[in-house]
This record gives sequence, structure tokens and C-alpha cells, in this order.
Amino acid sequence: MKVSDIRVAVLRMEGINCEQETYDAFERLGARPEFVHIKQLEKRWPDSGGYRDLEEYDILMLPGGFSAGDYIRAGAIFASRIKSSVGKDLVRFIEEGKPVGGFCNGFQIMVELGVLPGYSSTMSDRPEAVLHANDSGNFECRPALLKMVNRGSCVWTSRIEKDEVRLIPVAHAEGNLILDDPDRAYARLFDSDMVVFRYCDTEGDFEAPYPYNPNGSRFNIAGICNDTGNVFGMMPHPERVFDRIAHPDWYRKRISRDEGDGRAVFESVLDHVVKRF
Amino acid sequence: MVIADLTSDIGLDVPVRRIMLSRCTDEELERMSRQMGIGLSLDEMKRVRDHFSSEGRDPMDVELEALGQAWSEHCCYKSSKYYMRKHFFGMGAPYVISSNEDAGVVEFDDEHAYVVGLESHNHPSAIGPYGGAATGVGGIIRDIFCMGAQPVATVDPLFFGPLDLPQDSVPEGVRHPRSIFHGVVAGIRDYGNRIGIPTVAGMIQFHEGYTGNPLVNVGAIGIARKEHIIHSRVGGPGEIYILAGGRTGRDGIHGVTFASADLSSSSEDKDRGSVQLGDPITKEPLIHACLEANEKGLLRGMKDLGGGGLSCVSGEMALAGGCGAVIDMDRIPIKEDGMAPWEIWVSESQERMMVSVLPEKVQDVLGIFEKWDVLARVVGRIEEGRRIKALWKGVPVLDLDLDFFTAGPEYCRIVEARVVSREMKEASFPDPDRPSLEKALLSLMSDPNICSREAVFRTYDHEVRARTVIKPAVGRPFSPGPSDASVIKPLSGSNKGLALASDVDPFFCEIDPYNGTMASLEESFRNLVCVGARPHSITDCLNFGNPERPDRMGDFARSCEAIGEMVRYFKVPVVSGNVSLYNETETGNVPPTPTFFTVGIVPDVNLCMTSDLKEESNLLYLIGMTKKEMGGSAYFRQLKEECSCVPSVDLEMSKGAMEAMLELIGSHLVVSAHDLSEGGMAAAIAEMCIGGGLGAEVSISRIGRFAGLEEMRRDTILFSESCSRYMVEVRLPNAGKVEDCLSRHHVPYVKMGTVGGRRLRILDEDEILIDVGIDILDEKWRNGLRYVLEGSQ
Repeated sequence: MKVSDIRVAVLRMEGINCEQETYDAFERLGARPEFVHIKQLEKRWPDSGGYRDLEEYDILMLPGGFSAGDYIRAGAIFASRIKSSVGKDLVRFIEEGKPVGGFCNGFQIMVELGVLPGYSSTMSDRPEAVLHANDSGNFECRPALLKMVNRGSCVWTSRIEKDEVRLIPVAHAEGNLILDDPDRAYARLFDSDMVVFRYCDTEGDFEAPYPYNPNGSRFNIAGICNDTGNVFGMMPHPERVFDRIAHPDWYRKRISRDEGDGRAVFESVLDHVVKRF
Repeated sequence: MVIADLTSDIGLDVPVRRIMLSRCTDEELERMSRQMGIGLSLDEMKRVRDHFSSEGRDPMDVELEALGQAWSEHCCYKSSKYYMRKHFFGMGAPYVISSNEDAGVVEFDDEHAYVVGLESHNHPSAIGPYGGAATGVGGIIRDIFCMGAQPVATVDPLFFGPLDLPQDSVPEGVRHPRSIFHGVVAGIRDYGNRIGIPTVAGMIQFHEGYTGNPLVNVGAIGIARKEHIIHSRVGGPGEIYILAGGRTGRDGIHGVTFASADLSSSSEDKDRGSVQLGDPITKEPLIHACLEANEKGLLRGMKDLGGGGLSCVSGEMALAGGCGAVIDMDRIPIKEDGMAPWEIWVSESQERMMVSVLPEKVQDVLGIFEKWDVLARVVGRIEEGRRIKALWKGVPVLDLDLDFFTAGPEYCRIVEARVVSREMKEASFPDPDRPSLEKALLSLMSDPNICSREAVFRTYDHEVRARTVIKPAVGRPFSPGPSDASVIKPLSGSNKGLALASDVDPFFCEIDPYNGTMASLEESFRNLVCVGARPHSITDCLNFGNPERPDRMGDFARSCEAIGEMVRYFKVPVVSGNVSLYNETETGNVPPTPTFFTVGIVPDVNLCMTSDLKEESNLLYLIGMTKKEMGGSAYFRQLKEECSCVPSVDLEMSKGAMEAMLELIGSHLVVSAHDLSEGGMAAAIAEMCIGGGLGAEVSISRIGRFAGLEEMRRDTILFSESCSRYMVEVRLPNAGKVEDCLSRHHVPYVKMGTVGGRRLRILDEDEILIDVGIDILDEKWRNGLRYVLEGSQ
């Protein structure tokens, strides 16, 4: 498949607010992103020409924001709308190996949906983890250093070397990943190569306290994938550092490369689709 | 009850009363205005009475309520207009597209315009800090997208009483400044973050004068293709009004009349209903839907419902298009049953927009709102004749002559200008030794008005939309220093940037409103210049006390005069603004606070400059003239020293320094730049050290000691806040070129020393004045707000 044939559904509902930059990232790499409102999948769109089916797309992207205000639990309402209307389509989409990604609110939605961590089934009946309130009790908008620790299963990070550290910012109030049944779950996550990004300090050390770990997440986990590697969620925002100039310190190291640290995430998944389909 | 005596029901089930003004004595007119809470003066009530007499009738309560709202200080600027017109209105620039609507529209490039506005939400935030601040953000965002522009950033200048004010100094009926501070910041956070528009800049000032009356100013900027700019006026008769967004409720009734009177100790109970309730999750799709309908060319006019509600919007939009309109109030979606027509008419409920549409486009427009799950209804139509009419259950309840309705009174209030001495004074005690100077610097670094604002801006999403190229913090990502201005790259296809700064120094303005205003505006220009932007437009929010008091009005007039002076000299136009008067309580007024939100243009964001030191052995230059202007300075405030001579702007010198700085930055001759403001030169260098994680060694021996000048004290040199000064970092090989440039612009400068090490060392000849580790400066500055918040718990 050619990059220019790859159709990316950038899913939105009220309160999603990072859809434009997410769309731009795919478009600038030559793919064919499209904003898809959940009502279009639900077939509740005012004109039937706007009805959409998940199977028309090659990648499903859940952007950041505050879907429905996040007044209940972050992501809970969007997740229940997806599950009740296109839950089966989504399971099929994932089982066909098509990539699903979520950043920030997108990750929260995926956890609420039960597609992450998703070790017992493609989509569990109830959430197997939660993104809990940050330890600081605050919304945290700040840079974060992420070490890529995935050993090769994740299709969203193939363009990033293992143990490479990248700067990708966070902006959330609920990013502290807590797994159900922690005694076994964390071991399982690491053993099955489902951990993708971990927060670290400037030395690359995982013993990094706040603010390096901005939310208190155990084992500094910032992003995970399912055991087949196609479903991937992370709290930080790679779409915000698509360009070098969006980094907090680009003017301190004036280098010619205009690529930001987040671009590789989008390149990786497009690469994967090109090769696989 | 006067009202009961002088009103008569229209009949049947219509809860509308006719107010028999024609039978009222003067005393009864005044009482009527007070009892209805419409805030009109006796003269204004008489004018209303006479107008209706000339129409051969008495007004309905809906009509009187509508007039009270339209003629409030907040809506018609009756006290302030005269001075603003006299000093700076209409001083345009060729690139200003519109400066008389909800927000200013200014050319950005050949194809695009930026739209900018700044408003106050002071009174609501005093009563309900969380809701008041949130709806303030909501209101200014509507002002931007109702012009057809995509909002790209918000800016919030905030003013509170001291966070550590002892509880027994807090006047009765007033919330503690800490409670207001937390509420306001949380309100901006929860609303701003949810609508997905980054909060990128602002300011926070603490001053005892804001204890009973905090100031919450909220600014926003958006970007639009020029052909998508839409105006707040209807196209012509036959068009249809569609009201979209939130429902209309009893929240925000009498909001503008409440904002046009002093606050009192009973305000919290009495005026709670005036505070609106915000809903960002209605707003977010409302923005998408309005912009989509506009970009598809389906709209003829669009305006937001803010202060003044349905009443002002439906009348003003129609009149601006030379028409009238009729509104069917039964079609207005309401939040609760039983609302009287006058309540529906003047409610300031949030998240509402009015659009005017050709009949054949109505279905398309409603379809777009339906797509986004935004409630939208046809509520009226545009007619010939300049009258606004409203029907309630088919009964006419309002029929107003729009020319009368919008011709609010205008006053030339009595002013009493204060006399301010310009006698320069230095400190009254002996020139301090090293321990005292070091102590003074550390105490300035943690001063609540100087220290880091990280605890606040990290809770605001300042990066959503991924276009914030210079953020509120600059330098080392995990130990940054302060940024002079933020820069947004609003378009994906262009490297042109918008630099945003906000500034005012209430301590200067309180002593000397004229020089203080000039210094404040010049500081915001300096902030823009330091990131490499040329000042392009000014938006102001003039927060003052009760205009009926001649001394307050005198301050206002002097401040306007100062703005005029700056605008004329720099040829940077005021493109929009807001006036907030009656900022006072029983215990006094706020310091004169002319807040400026200035926008600069960066030709190429890749050339942006920041304040953090970059590398060892670079040179540091002080640009500009240090003077003995210690009035209002942070140093004098801390030591309780008195001086009425605040920093003044030497226009020629200021312009020269600005041009030189822009040339230096534009040609890569400096690698960091910072303006000197609160805490003076010592604090500025310290902040540059913090951001870069690098020390410096500088000497003051060549500053302020020119032949013929009286020697300046060392603490004056270190902490003076004189205007038009900058600190820049220069690579050794560029020193000659930098000096040439500064000489060419006739700007004084001093080569002060070099970057290096991990300490800030300031010397006078061989004597060490200050020698402090960067980590200590960093700790004091970074935790200043925490010290005052935790120390007082």
C-alpha cells in the first residue's frame, strides 16, 4: 500500500480538541486523514452522505482533549459511545491488525474501552486499568523525557531506537496509569513487551521523580500497547512536537534538523501500514 | 411599593407590566431605577420618560430593562468615551481593518488577518471567582470567533490582594485573596483547557488595593482568512435570525448593571445571580459550527451574546445593518419555565451566538449546528425600519426606536488631576554593603510580584494546537527562566509569528498615572522586542475606580493622555479595548490599572530570541540609561522607602533602543535578550542566569557615572526600574558590530562583563557587591509563590 492511499480516521466528539494537529501530522506525511465525528459512525449524521464505517479506514486515531468534558472519568463517555455503537467493528478492526492509536484523552478512552492493556481479550468487558489523577493533584502542562523501551512488538515506534530518549510534552490532570491486579499485571506488561515509553530524567534514569514523572505513574510508564502491538496509547502528545520549533528549547541547540521528537511515531505507523497491507 | 402603584398589567397571562413613568415624581423615578436594579440616573430616567411621552405611551418593563442594560457604563462607555476619543481613538494605521467591533481586526499578511480582544470580568470574579473567570475566558473567545476567526491563544492578566494578607485585614463580606486567586486560576484552567485554546501568556500582580476588588482581564487572539471576516451586522430586511448554543436562563441577569456600580459588602449575597455559568463543552462545538457555517459563506452577520444579552445583540446587529428586527421570544430555548419576558430579554447566559442568514440558507445553517449537536433555532427576522420588537405569546412586549436605544448618554465627568513631584530620590539609608545587597536581591527574586509563575501556567494548557513556539518559560526545559513574551505561529504554511505580551505596573500607575501608564505600555513593547517582534497593535483594558469621583476620573484622563502620547509617537494603533470602572469597594478603589495586551509581528519564528543565557564567555551588555527613578520600584516597596518619581519614558531614546534591538536580533548579533523591569538590572541578569543554568560576572563601575552627573548609589544602579533598558548576550566576535549598531541609533550602552561559571557575581571596581550561586537564585525565584502560599497556611 502507498502512503497516499492510507486512510486515517481522526475520531472526534465534543470536547476533543487536539484533532487538528493530529490530522496535520498524518497529512504532512502524505497520508489521507479525515475527521470523523462519532455521530457519523453511529449513523446519526443529519445527512446520510456523511455516514461512515470503521472498515473504510486503515488507521484509527483517538486525539487528545476533554471528550464530553471528562466530568465523569476521563474518556468514560466517549468510550461508552464507541463501545455501544461500533464496539464490534472496532474489535474486527483491531483483530485485522489495523493500528489504533490514542494520545492523552485518546489513551484514556482506550483504557476505558478495554482495548488497552487488552491482555485477556481484544476488548475487555470492563476496564483493566485506570488513568488516575496525577500525584500532584494538578493539571500538568510540561515537557517530559520518554525512553523507548519496547523490544519490537509495537508498530507505532519502529522508527525509534530502543533506549532512545525523546522529549514529548504532557498536558493532563489524569495520567497516572494504575493496572488492575498490580502484582501480576505489571510483570505481564513487561514480559509481553507491552510497555512502550517510560518517563526518565536527563540522564535517562527511571528513578526520576516529579516533574520528570509528571503524574506518579508506577514504573514511570507513559505509553503501552496491546500484545499484538497494533493498539497503542500514551499520555504525552507526540503531535505537539512534530516540528523542532515546538520543542521548549529549540533555540538553545540551533540545529538544521527541523524534525521534532514526535514525528517518528507517525512515520512508524505509516511505515507499518505500507509494509503490511 | 412604588412599582406596584405605577405599573399596570398588560392583561391575561402576560407577566409584563407597563411602568407609568409619566406619573412619576423625580424621587419616584430614582426609586424605580433602584428597585428594578437597572442603574439609571435621574437624568437618564427623565430622558427615557420624555422619549416614551413623545411616542404617546409609557414603557413596558422589558423596554426599561433593555435601556438600563444598553445605557450602562459597561455597555455604552458613557464616562470613558470622551477621553478615549480625545486622546487615542481613530489613530489608525494602514493595516487596521476594523477597530470598532467586538474585537480588533488587523492585517497579518496579504491573505490573513488577526483578531484581538481584551475584556474585564472583574465584578463577577469578586463574587464567584471560579465561574467569573471561566465565563470571562468564554466571553472573549466568542468575541474572536464571532468575527469569523479561529481563536489561537488566550492571555490572562490577573490582579489580586496579597496572598498572605492576615485574615483580620480582610474586610467584611470579602473573600480572602488566596481563595479568589485559587478560584480564578482554576476557572481559567478548567474552561481554557477544555475548549482547546492555549493560554499562553498573562501576568499576575498582587497589591493591597485589589483585596476587595480583584481584576480578571482576559484577552484572546484569533486568525482568519481576510475574506472570512464577518461583521456584527445584518445584511438586510428579510434575513432570519438564528440563535445558537446554550439555553437562556436566570444566570447573569443584571450582569452589566452590577459591573457598573461599586462592590459592597453585601454583593456576595445580593449579586450572585448576576454571575453567569459557563459550559466549555457547549462552547467547543459551537466554535466549530459557527466557523464552518461562516467559511461556507452561509452567514450574513454574526455576533456573540455577552454583556447585554439578546437585547443588545438583536438590536445592535440590526441597526448596524440599517434595519430593525422582530424577535419571537417563545422560540428562545430557556433553561427553566416561568421566566418573565424581561428576564429572557436581558439574561447574559453564556455560550450563545446570533447569526443572520438569508431565508434560503436557513436549513443549511441549522444542519451544521445539528451536526455538532448544538441547539439552534430561528428566533426572528430582519425588517425595514430602525425598531427592535419582541413578541411574547404573540403579544408585543417591546417596540423600541433603535436610534434612541443605542444612543446612550455620554458624560464629560469632572476631573481632578493629581500633582506628582518628579523629584528623584535615592534610598534614605547609607549605601548598603554586600550582605544587605545579596539579601535584597534574594528577597526580590522571591517577591510574589517577581517570582516564577510556573505554579500557575503549568496548570494551563499552553501548547494545545501545537503552535506555541515561544512558551511562557524559556531555557533549560526542566529549570526554565521567564519568557518576555510568547510567540504563536498561527499558520501552518508560513513562518510568520504573533508575539503576545501583557503588561501594566499598578505600583507606578498608583503614584503617577501618566508616567506609570507610559512605562507600562513601553514595557509591553520591550517584552515583544525581546523575542524579536515589532510592536504592531495595542488592545487595552482600562480598570479604574468610580468615574463619578473626580480624583478617579482624573487618573483615568491622565492615563488616556499617556496612551495617546505613546500611540502617536510609535504609530502603533489601539485596535480594541474595554473599560472597567467602578472597581471599588467601601474600603477604597483599585490602583489605576491600564492593562495592555500588545501584539507584535515576528517576520520568521526561526529568528525568535529568548532570555536564557546561552554559552560561557559571551559578553553581557546593558542597553539604555539607568536613572534615579525609584518610585514604585520593588526595591523601595520592600524597604518601605518613599519616592514619587516613577520611571518615565524618553520617547526618542525608547524608539532608538527598540530599533537597535530589532536590528541586533534580526541579524543574529545577540544570542539572548531580556528587558529590565521589576527588580531592575540585578533581577534581570539573575533571571537570565536561571533560564540558562549559567553564571555571570559583571561590573557596574561604568553605569550612571558620566562626567557632570551626580554619582548614583549602587543600590540604585542595581535595582532601578528605569524604562527603555535591555540586557543582551553577545558572542565575542560580534562585539564591534553590536556597539556600532547601538551607536548608530544613539543608544547608550555599557559592556558589563561575561557569562560563565555557576554564580552571579556583581562587582563595583574591585569590590564584590553580590556573589550568589545560581541554584540559590533559582530556588528563591522558582518557589516564591509557594513560599507565600504555604507560609501563610
